Amino acid sequence: MPILELHDVSKSFDGFQAVADASFDLVPGELHALLGENGAGKSSLMNIVAGLYRPDKGRIRVKGEDVHIDGPSIAKKLGIGMVHQHYKLVKAFNAVENILLAAGADKYRTGLAEVEKSVCEHCEEMGFAVDLKRPVGALSVAEQQRVEILKVLVNGAEIIILDEPSAVLTDSEAAALLKVMRTLAAKGAAVVLITHKLGEVKAFADRVTIMRGGRTVTTADPKGSSLADLTAKIIGQAVCETRHPAKAIGAPVLHLKAITGARADGHRTLHGVDLTLRAGELYGIAGVGGNGQPELAEILMGVNRPTGGTLEFVGAGDISRSNPAERRKLGLVCIPADRATYGLAGELSICENYIVTGVRNGRFGSWTRVNWRSGAASTKDAVSAFEVLGVRSTRQKASLLSGGNAQKLVIARELASPPRIVVAHSPSRGLDARATSEVRRRLLEARDAGAAVLLISEDLDEIMLMSDRIGVMTRGRIVQEFEAPADRQLLGKAMVHHD
Amino acid sequence: MTEMQLNIGMARPQQPPAPPSMGWRIPGLLLEVRQHAPIWFQTLVLLCGMATGLGLSFLILLAAGVPADGLVVEFKSIFSNTTNIASLLTQLAPLLIVGLSAAVAFRVQFWNIGIEGQMIFGSIAATFVAINDIGPEPLRLPLMMAAAAIGGMAWIIVPALLRIRFGVNEIISTLLLNYVAVNFLLHLLYGSWRDPKSSFPNSEQYTAAERLPQLGWESLTYALPLALVLTLFCWWLFSLSRFGFYTRIVQSNPKMALAMGLPVIAVTLGAALLSGALAGIAGFTISSGVEYRLTQSFFLGYGFSGILIAFLARNNMIGAILVSILVATFFIASQSLQVFYQVPGAIVQLIQAVIVISVAGFEFFNRFRLRLAR
Repeated sequence: MPILELHDVSKSFDGFQAVADASFDLVPGELHALLGENGAGKSSLMNIVAGLYRPDKGRIRVKGEDVHIDGPSIAKKLGIGMVHQHYKLVKAFNAVENILLAAGADKYRTGLAEVEKSVCEHCEEMGFAVDLKRPVGALSVAEQQRVEILKVLVNGAEIIILDEPSAVLTDSEAAALLKVMRTLAAKGAAVVLITHKLGEVKAFADRVTIMRGGRTVTTADPKGSSLADLTAKIIGQAVCETRHPAKAIGAPVLHLKAITGARADGHRTLHGVDLTLRAGELYGIAGVGGNGQPELAEILMGVNRPTGGTLEFVGAGDISRSNPAERRKLGLVCIPADRATYGLAGELSICENYIVTGVRNGRFGSWTRVNWRSGAASTKDAVSAFEVLGVRSTRQKASLLSGGNAQKLVIARELASPPRIVVAHSPSRGLDARATSEVRRRLLEARDAGAAVLLISEDLDEIMLMSDRIGVMTRGRIVQEFEAPADRQLLGKAMVHHD
Repeated sequence: MTEMQLNIGMARPQQPPAPPSMGWRIPGLLLEVRQHAPIWFQTLVLLCGMATGLGLSFLILLAAGVPADGLVVEFKSIFSNTTNIASLLTQLAPLLIVGLSAAVAFRVQFWNIGIEGQMIFGSIAATFVAINDIGPEPLRLPLMMAAAAIGGMAWIIVPALLRIRFGVNEIISTLLLNYVAVNFLLHLLYGSWRDPKSSFPNSEQYTAAERLPQLGWESLTYALPLALVLTLFCWWLFSLSRFGFYTRIVQSNPKMALAMGLPVIAVTLGAALLSGALAGIAGFTISSGVEYRLTQSFFLGYGFSGILIAFLARNNMIGAILVSILVATFFIASQSLQVFYQVPGAIVQLIQAVIVISVAGFEFFNRFRLRLAR
């Protein structure tokens, strides 16, 4: 008998239909994947189950009984626990205190001891390593996620919902996590895995429900369906990606020479990066996350200074001390990994986000007057040229765009005037298949127009598909370079077997 | 004040985007997050908040022993009698300028609580020019005004640099520097600057060339046109110019502004200095336009009023004019209420506070929507 059933559930936000007549069921002992593009309504549907949103209509049954989940506390009572994409943790508290806060014990001291005991049992059972004494703000993302999972388990949840748990994990961490979830399912829990990674679904899920445009399209057995089949159902049409090698590789544009770098806390992250970017070529940096990639990107963007080494821009000398404005003048643009931090100002309009660099270089008016009219017109053109969807007006807040469309807006701005160097850091992370392929096409177009493109990505498939030359980055160094097409096995070896 | 989330330094942690909406139940009512409130609605909410605040203030005054009809007559007389209108407009000038001062700083999330300290140093600098007879007489007033602006800037540059360089919270530093400024003012007025003629703790009187000239209608001086020109300047700077555009980006996401190559530090510092300069000029308009000397209490109440004006006007420079008229009315009304009904002068601050709380409370409706549950 299903432990959870949803019948014709709908939810709209301010006129936007996020979930439309969705139906879903979950049985104990299964790992049920919920698959779909960005904005397909997966998270919204599960937020309804977790009591965060109230559905506009529809029936929800838990263990065969009709229920109204009017808040997270009611969801908790019903045995539903959700690990959200953005963790709901108090950063200054340690793991045990956070779990206690969610469990709501009556007495702090005794409650703390009880929770700690329970947490330790669960940790042992699942082979989790979490530092329970440190403030969670000081833990790694993977550890914070484990704290969230423990929170759910300590509350005795039988229905466990994970919202894109692997988005922030390395491949091996993700595999380990999903194995743990399989173990939980084997013990009788019902697990919902929200994801858009087909590989995970094929490898770990018992059943898969696909959502598109707020509707549940189908429920299937992933083992019995081909990848192409599932992809087609997710996006409504099949995409197939082929390599497009560079046609004309030109002269070197930027030499990185012995770049070293450190984080603000003094931890050294880059130990002498050497590489050369050439016009019309896409250079891919492959590597497991946490080997200095974000630091390298920040140094190239100019928001951080290297501790040593030079960035020789051909024709302009060493730019390692220049600020972002000077670099932009030379034609160096960036597509940052973290849009919310370096890419967009969510509270401002789409137009303001688009024209910011143009206002800086005088394209939209003089210092006495910003030319809003031409700014808005250019924004409109860019929005349609780069197929940014979901734009009702250019005065709409940028934060209302979905991930893929926000990324397209960033790319539209960065490529507004032909760049000489494009630094793209994980440009397709968190994007659905269609947006991913569009983002990649834009990068290749920029390359074919003569720009030197540096692609930093932890997605090896992306690197292999896109790059003309590949550098493997390990522990703050480029340890080996490959000409494309490169052998996947050799790349993998360079990424892992190096000391 | 809901608009004023504290921002300590540039290293503001980025919040993940809030979920688009949450609904939960109050018996019979449904509460939803509003994604976007149109301008007319925000204005309506603001007006409702102000009306509520005024209503509550009315009740407070009744409780303080002011008869209702007396109160009505009081406010009527302010707008019916030319002398009263003139004193209202005289009062308006410094209020408008401190309102601008607060709004300018708030536009870059620099919470300048030290307006009074900057006014004091503005007036001290202007008085220094006056009592030392610096410069030829025709240039004396412009020199005094420039000195006032520099004095105000001098009093804000330290908190501004501390905040930009080390992330020191400017709310604390600007607030504490107020007390330093007051005590330095008293030190001057009880010491070397004490008026030799009367031996009161005031500076000696300004000469005719050091006073803002009269416009020729009632007692009105050039302080009001000056305030309006400054308003126009600030409006241009923040609504039209490139600098104003930069301030919006810096206010919304300083890290993104940095990555886009905007001069983040210059923008923040520039706005903070302008805020200090305006506060200094406000002090100058009182000393040189109303009191004709440096006194020990000319600045009282202006710091909070400036914040109130900026808050109610939503940092909008033109809106500040309307709010300043309202606040000036309170100032004038309280003066006669003190005389006729022995209501303490602090009642103005009380009324202002009630209005701020009411407006901030009504802000709820900009963020949430109440619906009858099905």
